[in-house]
Amino acid sequence: MQDPRLRLLAAAVLSLAAFASTAGAVAALAWWLLFTPRTKALPRPGVLLSLIAMIAATALLSAWGGGPGLSYLIRMIALLLLATWVYAETEEGEVLAVAVWALGNRVGFEIGLIAEMGLTGLAVIRQEIEQMRVAMALKGIRPGVRSIVPLAMTLIVTQIRRADEIAGLLVVRGYTIGGRVCPGFEADPRDVLASIMAVIPVLLSTLPLRDVFILVG
Amino acid sequence: MRVDLEDLVFSRDSFTLRGSGTFGAGVHLVSGPVGSGKSTLALLLAELLQPGSGAVRRHGVSSALLLLQFPEHHVTCPTVAEEVRSWGLAPEDVLLRANLVGRGDDDPFHLSRGELRRLTLACAVTRNPDLLMLDEPFSSLDCVAKREACRTIEERGAGITIIFSHERAVLPRVDAVWEIEDGALTPRGSVPDVIPLWRHAPPYLAYALREGARPENIRLSDAREALCRIRG
Repeated sequence: MQDPRLRLLAAAVLSLAAFASTAGAVAALAWWLLFTPRTKALPRPGVLLSLIAMIAATALLSAWGGGPGLSYLIRMIALLLLATWVYAETEEGEVLAVAVWALGNRVGFEIGLIAEMGLTGLAVIRQEIEQMRVAMALKGIRPGVRSIVPLAMTLIVTQIRRADEIAGLLVVRGYTIGGRVCPGFEADPRDVLASIMAVIPVLLSTLPLRDVFILVG
Repeated sequence: MRVDLEDLVFSRDSFTLRGSGTFGAGVHLVSGPVGSGKSTLALLLAELLQPGSGAVRRHGVSSALLLLQFPEHHVTCPTVAEEVRSWGLAPEDVLLRANLVGRGDDDPFHLSRGELRRLTLACAVTRNPDLLMLDEPFSSLDCVAKREACRTIEERGAGITIIFSHERAVLPRVDAVWEIEDGALTPRGSVPDVIPLWRHAPPYLAYALREGARPENIRLSDAREALCRIRG
């Protein structure tokens, strides 16, 4: 999807549908298969599989305790795939542009700037994890439970320090509140079709299935 | 013990690195300007990058270690002492060697880059691998710390040590010089015969050669001694 407004709107709507019910999640997965580049938008297999493994472990625990484990698994995987698709397709400055378009140069700029900083932070974390992987390989440390805690602590502390540095930099440059951005967007006719189709999972998640389909018994 | 580069070719975007040659036991200096491909070559030698064609072959090398250009990229632990332990070493000895006694409980990111450089260099040298690759080991160090780093490298008795550096002021005693420019690695030869052929030689060596002196190695002290010899 070229237009970030429609992309973010579709992602928000589909996420709500996927979170609300299993039917909505299945429909969102079908939408993901039809309207996204699918595997091209996925992260590295190792990252994706470890995320799915964490979700599956939680789902298994839930099912073991008598909860809706399978439903949780389907809904969370739908959310994960939607999130990875939006993250892969979003380019620098797009979230700021959408926020300013929607909420103006004051509140919109603030929200957009925070979101942009968050997205940049994610990219930096990815880079730092890669650096740590190299550092561990050089030191001869095998990745495992023991190494995760100090690594996570180092990553969190580094991120907090970086946020502090960016805040200081904004102050030094005279930033107080708001800013001026003139956003421009390009929409493809297929974007509009995909956005309209994103409503279907919402309908499926909010309406009882028997009201949508006539079941022949 | 040796490392062979067999018609190595590595390409990324518009940059291509090519090189062939053998790194034998001793200290090798790979010199060249910033951006010439030294760090890429270091990563290839450390097998952290794979060449497009050709190969890096190690013979008789049982352990290898690369010290990265940016020392903070080695940090994986929240305190200096834990960081040293993560290298499989006892903090006391390493902190003494790095002149950081009493800093074990500090956050590694609260050390200056020069201090962190000293720490990682001390860790790498204490580990004493057969193949030690040092990417810009003198950057961020003051002259005193650079001389100390040179001494540490010179004291490493055995194995292959490869220094990738654009440093042209404070250098250790080396056995061979390589040059890398525009992505082409050229083995210049052994010291001292290589000194007149070395294109990126430090200014003090160039001056000594112009004066007719023949330094025995590439350090400032070698150039001084050679000049003293001819001037009486």
